[in-house]
Amino acid sequence: MTYTSSAATTRVKLIPPKELPVLVQKENEYGSLTSKEFLLETKRLKSKSLGPPIMDTPPYYIVLITYLNYLILIILGHIHDFLGLKFQKEKHTDVIEQDGYAPWFSKFESFYVRRLKKRIDDCFARPTTGVPGRFIECIDRISHNMNDFFTYPGSTTMCLNLSSYNYLGFAQSKGQCTDAALDSIDKYGVQSNGPRTLIGTTDLHVEAERLIATFLGKEDAMIFSQGYGTNANFFNAFLDSKCLVISDELNHTSIRTGVRLSGATVRIFKHNDMTALEKLIREQIVLGQPKTSRPWKKIIICVEGLFSMEGTLCNLPALIELKKKYKCYLYVDEAHSIGAMGPTGRGVCDVFGVDPNEIDILMGTFTKSFGAAGGYIACDKWMIDRFRLDLSTCSYGESTPAPVLAQIISSTRTIMGQLHPGEGAERLQRIAFNSRYLRLGLQRLGFIVYGHPDSPVIPMLLYCPSKMPAFSRMMLQRKIAVVVVAYPATPLIESRVRFCMSASLTKEDIDYLLRHVDEVGDKLFLKVSSGKANVEEDGRPPRWSIEEVLEKTPQDCKYDRFFLD
Amino acid sequence: MVAAASIDAVASTLPNSIPVPVPHFIAKLGCQLSSLLTLLLIHIPGGTQLLTYIKKSIHDDPYRAAVEIGLIVYGILYWLAKPKRTKKSYILNDSKLLLSEREINDLIEDWEPEPLVDASILEEQRWRLQSIPVIDTVTDDTKSLKQPFINISRDDNKEFYKNVLNLTSHNFLQISSLPQVLDVAKQTVENYGVGACGPAGFYGNQDAHYTTEYKLAEFFGTEGAVLYGQDFCVAASVIPAFTKRGDLIVADDQVSLSIQNALQLSRSTIYYFKHNDMESLENLLIELNESEKLEKLPAIPRKFIVTEGLFHNSGDLAPLPQLTRLKNKYKFRLFVDETFSLGVLGKTGRGLSEHFNMDRSSSIDITVGSMATAFGSSGGFVLGDHIMTFHQHIGSNAYCFSASLPAYTVLTLTKVLEIMDQDNSAVNKVQVLSKMLHDFFITDDQLSKFVEVTSDEQSPVLHFRLNQSFRDLIFHYSMDSLFETIIKFQQKNSTTRFIENFENEEKFLQKIVDKALIKHNILISRNTIVMKHESLPCLPSLKICVNANISEKILVDALANIKESILHCCQELVPKN
Repeated sequence: MTYTSSAATTRVKLIPPKELPVLVQKENEYGSLTSKEFLLETKRLKSKSLGPPIMDTPPYYIVLITYLNYLILIILGHIHDFLGLKFQKEKHTDVIEQDGYAPWFSKFESFYVRRLKKRIDDCFARPTTGVPGRFIECIDRISHNMNDFFTYPGSTTMCLNLSSYNYLGFAQSKGQCTDAALDSIDKYGVQSNGPRTLIGTTDLHVEAERLIATFLGKEDAMIFSQGYGTNANFFNAFLDSKCLVISDELNHTSIRTGVRLSGATVRIFKHNDMTALEKLIREQIVLGQPKTSRPWKKIIICVEGLFSMEGTLCNLPALIELKKKYKCYLYVDEAHSIGAMGPTGRGVCDVFGVDPNEIDILMGTFTKSFGAAGGYIACDKWMIDRFRLDLSTCSYGESTPAPVLAQIISSTRTIMGQLHPGEGAERLQRIAFNSRYLRLGLQRLGFIVYGHPDSPVIPMLLYCPSKMPAFSRMMLQRKIAVVVVAYPATPLIESRVRFCMSASLTKEDIDYLLRHVDEVGDKLFLKVSSGKANVEEDGRPPRWSIEEVLEKTPQDCKYDRFFLD
Repeated sequence: MVAAASIDAVASTLPNSIPVPVPHFIAKLGCQLSSLLTLLLIHIPGGTQLLTYIKKSIHDDPYRAAVEIGLIVYGILYWLAKPKRTKKSYILNDSKLLLSEREINDLIEDWEPEPLVDASILEEQRWRLQSIPVIDTVTDDTKSLKQPFINISRDDNKEFYKNVLNLTSHNFLQISSLPQVLDVAKQTVENYGVGACGPAGFYGNQDAHYTTEYKLAEFFGTEGAVLYGQDFCVAASVIPAFTKRGDLIVADDQVSLSIQNALQLSRSTIYYFKHNDMESLENLLIELNESEKLEKLPAIPRKFIVTEGLFHNSGDLAPLPQLTRLKNKYKFRLFVDETFSLGVLGKTGRGLSEHFNMDRSSSIDITVGSMATAFGSSGGFVLGDHIMTFHQHIGSNAYCFSASLPAYTVLTLTKVLEIMDQDNSAVNKVQVLSKMLHDFFITDDQLSKFVEVTSDEQSPVLHFRLNQSFRDLIFHYSMDSLFETIIKFQQKNSTTRFIENFENEEKFLQKIVDKALIKHNILISRNTIVMKHESLPCLPSLKICVNANISEKILVDALANIKESILHCCQELVPKN
């Protein structure tokens, strides 16, 4: 096939890997620790129940401006649509009926995407290459015609990586995990033979599942090839329409899809609001199923360990108390918390010092902290036995390929201290320090930051939709890769940037980040915190200077007294 | 001072005679209020014009002004009033449910939930767990073992089988186990690490993923391709991305579970046509077209025909030429799940469309494929036109909310496709073996007494099941009666479905598998269907999969042995008269 020269550049080309000295390469993927000062051993919360999270609110004029911003965008979008569909039909073939066929998606459904998101498409799906470690190599692209299409000149930019879910820094191309993955390719190949119950199981699967079960402190575990698929095809194995799922309003789409597929009834409670949850449970037990009023067969409370958009932790001790009191079952999705949180990296149970067996079903993914792919389910053996037979993914879907399993096994063993003793602990202490340092730094500078002090996900609020692309582009100019998120992943006005902390970053990297966020924050007028979510200083909202922050925060962030919650 | 003066000023502007007698204090209050309002309005830009308007309106038509003011007051009151609960809601303290705190507590105390997972039939089905083979590589002689032979253990290492001929692998072409492909995989791991550590929208899509998408689209001759993390999730994510309430889906009534899930999630109106019966399909389409004309909808609904390339449960082919003709005639879009047919059908392995000498981009609108079957990597993908593939980047849940595939899996696929471009010997080999396998079973008179083959001669997976007369004799049920039972279970919403006859037949089929394994060291398998999820007609069957690494001689020998196992097990069951 031949392409014209202009067409060829609209494609992302495979970038040949750079020839770098091994040491430099290693530093680029995982910066070595600059001082023992910058480690932090987290303490357990000793089953202490959390209070409701303190969410700072912006001044009213910010809210007003944000709504105005959306209003203008929507009005312009409608004008654009009206004129476009009148005069430029050839450019809108995707939303017009053609030749008796309905369009793939309707004008109304796709309005937000076509008229709002498209304006800032250059901030999403930036192609990258190489290891998404401490630095990420973004492939440069040039936007044409308001993000209508991009061209790729073939160059790349190394950016500081605040975007990948590489919490413990296991995204590496050197080290024990890569070695294990390479060995497994020799031994097992790359294919996933078939479904698990057919021929997809190898001794490596058995080993990995046992290891994960031990790591989590559960009797048995199962591993699947995709995290989304784990949730999406899980609930229909044991729920039906006479069961009730009580779900946190911010639960991930995969859980919602899974529950919808099971046909179970769903009731939503306000994010982390334990009083509302208790009220709902009491109400539902008494009222039973709608119409028939028969009691529910079973009630399952579904929450996430660490909520990826808010950085808040679920209130585990309170949840366990409620679950015991009302004989409900508890399902915790630890996609973001497993590996990244707790003194030994065992997720929310570890953070609160709760026995994992208090939770009926633990679910998590390997994409994040483990640098692999896939998901797991961990629970009692008799349940797993049943799941092995009943889960559709086991009998119809592919099994996890060997290199991914090898990565899972080696990274888990590193966290547990069985491989390279001390390394796992250091990674955990680095991410704990890094997360708290960045969070406190941003708070002191005057930004509104959500979430738990130890959370490696640090969402910083931007509010106005127009500030999202501005922030993202300015950070990219400063060679920092960040993720901006907006509606529908967040409430309409709470557009935000989400910093994903990693153990591979050094304290100096965070200094660099803070300096630039400070500068951009001033330009974009983002320092609007009221001081409500910070520790009281002198009654005024915190607006420290950057020098002051860099000087004091590395020490201060280690003490709980500088954080609320 | 100023205020007092202006009150008088306003009072003088009031109409001298209000037709209705008004007490003095009301008039005075009105004056004061209006003077305050006037002061306020004067200072607002445009207020003076408004003021003139109000004055004029009071002057010209005081009744209308009174009504207007009344309306404004009512509006404000309505806005301030708390919304009344008009809908009957389920709130505990509802007047309909006068329960005291103690009664509520008693009810809560009394409630006994069922166990989280129903383990009641676990013991009856434990044999299923015990018969899952685990490929073993710990044994020393693994290195000397060459594909297609493997070592397997079962039932927690209680049983162990060495040097077993593997006739179950879905990796039909075995190209991905070639050394040059493994080298690509290793190089990629050395350059990219393993995980992509992020979803596609947030820095998770690497140059590797884009390259693979181009390569896939190029290879299959479509405008675009989209990669997914797991093949089973693809259909269930793609169909709901393009359908909503009111859309129409016409589906084959024996599609596999991934499509059944997709249909359930699609929210659309679903009709089924008889398995591969084009007459039934056409009648249905005519009927639907007519009812649509009667309804006079404001916009055309989206309409899809959904089927599979090589069926998961039976291994037969969908008649693409007729399907394409019908979909063009009745303005439907065609969705084909080609999980099993891509890579094995057609001269160069380009799937169903090549098999029928058709152009993929003009005959099939959405193709779903798997990288985990014939191509021997992992993950799934969708092929189709630009608009459709582009919309998935934002509309398809399993794409947006899931991490990108590890780079090595996608670059492996690129390499596999590259090899297939140059050399179709693996595809040919698989087709020859498939034909051999098929012919052996079709032509054998002894076997046809007991079993029937449902799969096509091109299918690398041979599906065979007990024929109906034998099933009637031994297990006393048929596909129709089984489907009736399934429907009954569905209506009762029971999660646990234990159908004894079905279970017995599955057990019997497993006996044949065990016989072949224990006596002849050959691994074949039952078709893995999970009864509790199935909502369409199905029957238990056995599968034999061939792959390019098996030589013809090995296959011939193996088939003789499999035949012996089948005959042995079946003859045991036949009552001797």
